[in-house]
Amino acid sequence: ENSPAPLPERAIYGFALFLGAWFGFILYLIWAYIPETWLFSLGLTYWPQKYWAVALPVYLLVAVGIGYILLFGINMMSTAPLNSTHTVTDNYAKKQQQKKFQEEAIPALRDIPISEVNRMFFLPEK
Amino acid sequence: MAEERRFRSASGAPIALRRRQHSASCRELAVRGPRLQLRSLSAATSAVWLAAYGLFALCENSMVLSAAIFITLIGLIIYLHFVKIDQESLLVIGSLGIQVTSSYASGKESTTFIEMGQVKDVVINEAIHMQKVIYYLCILLRDSEDPQGVSEVVPLFQSSKPRLDCLIEVYKSCQEILEQRKTAPQSS
Repeated sequence: ENSPAPLPERAIYGFALFLGAWFGFILYLIWAYIPETWLFSLGLTYWPQKYWAVALPVYLLVAVGIGYILLFGINMMSTAPLNSTHTVTDNYAKKQQQKKFQEEAIPALRDIPISEVNRMFFLPEK
Repeated sequence: MAEERRFRSASGAPIALRRRQHSASCRELAVRGPRLQLRSLSAATSAVWLAAYGLFALCENSMVLSAAIFITLIGLIIYLHFVKIDQESLLVIGSLGIQVTSSYASGKESTTFIEMGQVKDVVINEAIHMQKVIYYLCILLRDSEDPQGVSEVVPLFQSSKPRLDCLIEVYKSCQEILEQRKTAPQSS
């Protein structure tokens, strides 16, 4: 079963992630702030360029900002245009089976065609 | 007999619906939008000319000013001939078909004719359009393979976009003529 209750394994994963996150953050601070000569004197020479210590956060923030606009644009693009049949029907409605009408029973659930809906709404019965 | 009633479009602009009954099975419904306003025309012209004057003050090239005049004139002609639709009309002839006409501000008219055999129904549909949900009238065309299906949706009154009260009037008029198809079926 999948329950969100706390378990001993989940506590261990959480603590490992917590330690890993702190370790990664301290490592990032060391790499960004300590001058290269000091790191070389300790024997640690294989680091990426310090340019990336500033560039990566900037890339991330710009990506988040563009993501807002991109999501908005994707939504607008996937909206069906006014002249498409998707505004009126879809695959499930086309393939639905007609159940027989039984007296004194609640009618079966089905997709009502738009002509019928229009007649019911806009042409009042006298 | 002709009658004209005032309504509002989806964006709030005043429009007028004119209904004419030519005979028992022929009706014409025309929706007329507002004319080109003098204040919007002068606002657009002044904006373009001020921008051109600002550009001229920066670069000291007098071609910018003549280019601005040219652009304003050409832009106005293109707008009147291709963009600004004055009147959209729907002519429903019971046994023949439906004709949709758009008249532009420059006098150009573009018509589309759909024969009655292809028309399944004329309905009011709601759809999402530019962060709004609007009602619009559309013609459903019959599908050749599937008798219950819809092959195409033709939206009407796209540039004047009337609101629901105007659409209900047009819908009732069209349905009165389309119902005659069922009561008097012709062999075709």
